[in-house]
Amino acid sequence: MSARKKILYIQTSGVDAPERTYAPFILATTAAMMNIDATIYFLIKGITLVKKGEAEKIKLGSFPSLKEVMDQAVKAGVKLVVCEQSCQLLGIPRGEFTPEAKIVGAATLNDLALNADAVLCF
Amino acid sequence: MKPKADRTLDCLGLYCPEPVFKTRMELDEMKVGEILEVVADDPAAEEDIKSLVRNLEQEIVDETKEGNTVRFLIKKVK
Repeated sequence: MSARKKILYIQTSGVDAPERTYAPFILATTAAMMNIDATIYFLIKGITLVKKGEAEKIKLGSFPSLKEVMDQAVKAGVKLVVCEQSCQLLGIPRGEFTPEAKIVGAATLNDLALNADAVLCF
Repeated sequence: MKPKADRTLDCLGLYCPEPVFKTRMELDEMKVGEILEVVADDPAAEEDIKSLVRNLEQEIVDETKEGNTVRFLIKKVK
């Protein structure tokens, strides 16, 4: 079997731009369904989406809440990673993130980008 | 003669990405050699289902289109 492909989604938009928040989760879940490894890296304001309690507050139109879409992504095997420096930038302590989101650093982002077959930014 | 479907997945009225998700889930439940019929009318489904099947390394054995409705027969080959 051929090696699994990898897509890295970089999410920089946060709770103040809710219309920009669904795409990475839906795309990453679809990637997982297609046997593609999917990781979402939350950077700058993007980290506000994985702060506990925030995704529940976002619900647009006929879409389910962002929390439901996020849970579906995690269930499908999508990895969530959070930029440590962005946490410091916005003053959000480590313990305030959803448990599925792992806090990582700048080297990890560079490495994820180099190892991915494609990188998409939102 | 067209192959006979072992099961049918009705995706009529569902929008992207639901037909893709449901097709994947259905394929996971099937045995190798079985054929799944997928019926969808979301305009995105026509290309998306093909893309899914290609990535999962399964096989589309028949495809028909009537108006806005596409019908795929997908064989689980592995």
